Amino acid sequence: MLRRSLLVTLTAALALLLPSYARGEKIKVGFPIILSGGGALFGEPAMKGAQMYVEEINAAGGVLGRPIELIVRDTKGNADEAVRVARELILKDNVDFLVGTVTSAEGPAVSVVAKENKIVFIAPIPKTDQLTAPEKLHPYVFRVAANTTVEGRSAAEVVAKWNVKQIATIGPDYAYGQDVTRAFVSWIKKIKPGVEIVDQEWPKLGESDYTPFINAMMGKKPDAVFSCLWGGFFVTFAKQAKPLGLFEAVKLNVIAVGEAGSPETAKTMGSDYPFGIWGNSYDAFYWHPSPAHRDYAERLSKYLKDPYPSSWAIQGYTGMQFLVEAIKKAGSTDSEKVAKALLGLTIDTPIGRQTLREKDHQADRGQLYGKMTLDPAIGFAVMKPPTYIDPSRFMD
Amino acid sequence: MPDLSFLLAQSLSGLTAAMFLFLIASGLSLIFGVLRVLNFAHGSFYMLGAYLAFQFVLWGGMGPGRFWWAVLGAALTIAIVGGLVERLLLRHLYGKDELYQLLFTYGLVLIASDAAKKAWGTQQLSLSRPPGLTGSSRVFGTMLPHYNLFILLLGPTIALGLWLLLNRTRAGRVIRAAALDREMLGALGVNVSWLYTGVFMLGSFLGGLGGALVTPVRAIVPGMDVEIIVEAFIVVVIGGLGSFWGTFLGAVIYGQVLAFGILIVPAFSIFSVFALMAVVLIVRPWGLLGQPLGT
Repeated sequence: MLRRSLLVTLTAALALLLPSYARGEKIKVGFPIILSGGGALFGEPAMKGAQMYVEEINAAGGVLGRPIELIVRDTKGNADEAVRVARELILKDNVDFLVGTVTSAEGPAVSVVAKENKIVFIAPIPKTDQLTAPEKLHPYVFRVAANTTVEGRSAAEVVAKWNVKQIATIGPDYAYGQDVTRAFVSWIKKIKPGVEIVDQEWPKLGESDYTPFINAMMGKKPDAVFSCLWGGFFVTFAKQAKPLGLFEAVKLNVIAVGEAGSPETAKTMGSDYPFGIWGNSYDAFYWHPSPAHRDYAERLSKYLKDPYPSSWAIQGYTGMQFLVEAIKKAGSTDSEKVAKALLGLTIDTPIGRQTLREKDHQADRGQLYGKMTLDPAIGFAVMKPPTYIDPSRFMD
Repeated sequence: MPDLSFLLAQSLSGLTAAMFLFLIASGLSLIFGVLRVLNFAHGSFYMLGAYLAFQFVLWGGMGPGRFWWAVLGAALTIAIVGGLVERLLLRHLYGKDELYQLLFTYGLVLIASDAAKKAWGTQQLSLSRPPGLTGSSRVFGTMLPHYNLFILLLGPTIALGLWLLLNRTRAGRVIRAAALDREMLGALGVNVSWLYTGVFMLGSFLGGLGGALVTPVRAIVPGMDVEIIVEAFIVVVIGGLGSFWGTFLGAVIYGQVLAFGILIVPAFSIFSVFALMAVVLIVRPWGLLGQPLGT
């Protein structure tokens, strides 16, 4: 009788313990990201970067002795869907943290979910300033992407050195395009008095024919152009602008942000790339700032089975790296403690030392800029040389 | 005040945009005109046409004519795909509620986008302009790329060809008759079932052709299917659903409103085109050259 009740007690105790033990075994990280539609261009490689990091960290024994499990969900590039999958990840999959989202619509939407559920959320790609603006900031949201202020001002720093006076801008008509263009315009006017913005074109996001916009722009006779058309939109724009003579008309004084200088875009366009303009990128396999980066690029190349590995993988990679380092520092997977550990956290990433600023939860993430020059050895344009613009001195 | 040559050039740029749109929208309009099916998957045919053209160029190796063969091959492949879809699946939905057809074609959109992702990945792709059409000429003081000129000429040619087909051949007479009274046509001994398949194939061919022909001037990306279908719908709604010349006119007006809208209010590029559609729908709900339903 005694033995039996002991058994019952033991079983009951075990049953009580079990769920929490099972949950405690793996550290679950929800990764809502665009895997279909136009934004998959960035979402997929960012996911691969995160997966590579997780595999590496798990092979080395995990964090706090526990392995990490990455649970990926497709947001379909839609803020409502992103919110839905983020909720599902938290409520059904019991994830401990969220890392992910791509667009400037998804990021702020998922940030609200993170706030409600008091779960740390690290955004690797969304750039809109609104994500970490004072009125939207809360203890659980962080960003390792460059924001629109940094990107716009970096571009202005480049253009300020050119001998140009009349600038035209073109960008997709939504949060990202407007924010980064505004940041560029206000900064260039500040650091280079005398420049004039002679034209601003606002094609809709998803525009497939830029011919009327390019012609309208050329009618205003600019001597430099700022573009923030990203991904396939830049490819379409450049293919249409080149035979229209836009690049020659402004003597190649064009700066194309939105990662138009990324190896992915350059490789896609091959000899159709408008050589001689300036572009930017998060990363480049041919950039060699340190042995750590060279090592990372080689590992990534093997992981992706691609001799020219993606420049977007680094965003998923550093997003996860910040999370893991913060868990280590906090010695806990409690979101409140991890969020505190992330404040002002400085880590060594493959692209160098990065800090999540305490005041706005924003990484001091800059980007690479360079003149796009054909590399005959690989058959597409590279930034020559790729220069990392450290934004610390012009961040608010 | 901008000078006249600039305005002419701007008008020409709007016309280029219009001809690309017409190429794509014509198939959508044709299918609706005869089959009364609003084919959501038309944008998917356009996207697959672009991806196939890319693939055929890749396989074709180096050769001066390979781009054109790839375009033709892509459009024909899409025509066959369209034929299979109509023959095996869509046919069972005729006479049912329109909602079923809409849901069915929307299902096709999802399947096609996933299939394209599996086959070609998520990275953007691009093709160069074909040899012989890489240059530009100076017109009205601005550059007119030769490829754009080719499209400017091809648009009206295809319009004329379709018109001749519909109005000057026996097949065309039967097709027009089918649009008006399908049962009577069947009673007269015409095989309406295969006629429908043929029209659907022709419409799909035009969608695939449009997709293949934009590859030299646009990126090939996931999501291009949904982007184009919205514009194509606007064009056919303005022109009148099912009206062939209406689609042509709709495309031309769309291009001009876009081109001059951005000159007047640059920040309203999206607004001008939708405002145009709203005005047309208020004044003539059946479109400029369409016919009111039930007459």
